[in-house]
Amino acid sequence: MSNPQSIQKTLGIGLTLGVVFLWFIALVMAVSVLRIRMNRLFDSALAETAQRIMPLAVVEIINRKMPGQMQNIMPFAAHDEYLVYLVRDNHGAILLKSHNADSAVFDPHFQKGFSSSESHRFYGASAVQDTLHIQVAEPLAQRQAAMKEMIFTLVWPLAILIPLCFFGTWLFVRYSLRQVLAFSAAIKKRDGGDLSPIQAFELPIEINTIADSLNDLLQRLRRAMELEHAFTANSAHELRTPIATALAQIQRLQHTLPAGSSLEQACKIEITIKRLSRLSEKLMQLAKAESGRLMSAEPHDLICLLRLIIEQYKHSYPDKKFQLYLPDNESFMSNLDADAFAILVGNLLDNAMKYGNKQAPVVIGFSSGTLRIVNQSAIIPADKLAQLNHRFVRLNSQSKGSGLGLAIVDAIVTGMHATMTLYSPATNRTDGFEVRINFPHTS
Amino acid sequence: MRLLLLEDTFELGEVIQTQMIDEGYAVDWVKTIAQAKAALDNTEYDLILLDLILPDGHGISLLNKLRSSYDRTPVIILTARDQISDRIKGLNAGADDYLVKPFDLSELSARIAAVIRRYTGNPNPKIKLADLSIDLNNHQVNRLGIEIHLTAREWALLEAFLHRPGRLLSKPQLEDHLYAFGAEIESNTIEVYISRLRKKLGKDLIETVRGLGYRMKQT
Repeated sequence: MSNPQSIQKTLGIGLTLGVVFLWFIALVMAVSVLRIRMNRLFDSALAETAQRIMPLAVVEIINRKMPGQMQNIMPFAAHDEYLVYLVRDNHGAILLKSHNADSAVFDPHFQKGFSSSESHRFYGASAVQDTLHIQVAEPLAQRQAAMKEMIFTLVWPLAILIPLCFFGTWLFVRYSLRQVLAFSAAIKKRDGGDLSPIQAFELPIEINTIADSLNDLLQRLRRAMELEHAFTANSAHELRTPIATALAQIQRLQHTLPAGSSLEQACKIEITIKRLSRLSEKLMQLAKAESGRLMSAEPHDLICLLRLIIEQYKHSYPDKKFQLYLPDNESFMSNLDADAFAILVGNLLDNAMKYGNKQAPVVIGFSSGTLRIVNQSAIIPADKLAQLNHRFVRLNSQSKGSGLGLAIVDAIVTGMHATMTLYSPATNRTDGFEVRINFPHTS
Repeated sequence: MRLLLLEDTFELGEVIQTQMIDEGYAVDWVKTIAQAKAALDNTEYDLILLDLILPDGHGISLLNKLRSSYDRTPVIILTARDQISDRIKGLNAGADDYLVKPFDLSELSARIAAVIRRYTGNPNPKIKLADLSIDLNNHQVNRLGIEIHLTAREWALLEAFLHRPGRLLSKPQLEDHLYAFGAEIESNTIEVYISRLRKKLGKDLIETVRGLGYRMKQT
């Protein structure tokens, strides 16, 4: 798929190119008209010069003491001579010429009126019953230089006009699209968990329909997700209550049974019910982790939540030691859903307590958006470590865990664009297992 | 100790009630918020076990009503809702503890004991009383290393005094602590249990204040 184009940029470039194209067409037409007009003007000057010089030349030639002798007219003062002329008789003998005139540039065969060679423009006229002929020449380079100068004068403003036109168009388009840009920024700013309607003020008609449709879609999505959320929560409730009843009843039964095989059976049933309870809980957690409902509209302080979760664990496991490295008077705001974070931390703590040394404390740290949970254990081989976050993968076949804990954590981490890294041995230790999760800041 | 259990699942409520009675608590079991309100209007409880999803509403609404009327009765929420947001809501509403179903009955007992101890101002579960060592967690009484066996009712009566050191308790108050609604109580039941406790623990331990009630000497 090609990269999306910016309307602002496309309109800016398109309108600028359009203006430049029209400017060039106008330029070509103007140059073409001016060229014809200038040529007429130059030709008129050429003819006028010949007409003015001819009577003077005739008088001068007739009054000569030695007719037929060529005379070079010297200037009064040094000057650039754009127009040169020569006067010849019927035999082609040059009788008079301007001081700079090179006879080689003149056509030896006299032509009346206008004519051109590769380098010059000529005008020829005759007098004294076509016995004396004058030819005035003008270098074509003169006209070409004038034309070039005129074209350059017309073209150079484009160097200023093009950036000005682009910038002006960009500004105007930006101004016209300001509501669209605000709408776009509002969409860009929100994360996956925010399904509230997007505010759209005074959008252009063309975009307004899209905004309405988008808000309708968000509303439908929000309703669907709320229903799904309610269904999961209700399912969890409906599932937990009978399990709780079965567990309580079997524990009551154990009180009444005498020691023996019946009591052993009751204990086994209790273990099975607890396993069923854990598995159903993990499957519910996995369903939530993979549902995409991992972000909330309101940011939470993860450090505060972490303290609350640890307090709850200390309460539930009074014999277990937890070594905390949490920053005082510091918060880390994140849009991660509080329940998803509790599931994530709970699974990591469950793993640390289940697989770690029972006597050693579980180390919990949070700093600069990085959660660290470390437990003492034997070193886990690298190949096993790489597979631990896969579903139903256990460290060894005797493990009593569900094999879902790290898979749930991995699903949450992936869903919220965080990163998880597993280490064994733990950092700065010769043994142990460490999980590190880097959380992104709130958007 | 008298508990109010608010649980709409019949089988679970029945088991919890039986377990708590076995441990010496007097338990009134109700299944709706309306029944709970009626019970609370008539009786002073030492602790409330509160389910959240109930047929006539949400348990949090009852908790809010209690706390807004400055009722400081300890409340433990028993619920199948395990989300931390629900836990935060429950604790913010004024619950003292939050236990997610399914739970071990022994854990429920431990949590009840811990909350009651916290309310009585003595978080230490081990009490020394004259030559007696009393373990509130394990319901054990020892004299010079020898365990003295107490029945559930005897223990409940002793606990009622232990949690109110030096306070005068009337006979109806003690009956309220020992028996749930509808229990048939003989007119001399309290005297019988006081007499048994004196016999097992020492005759000077509980003082009779004639015409008013009984008082345990301070720890």
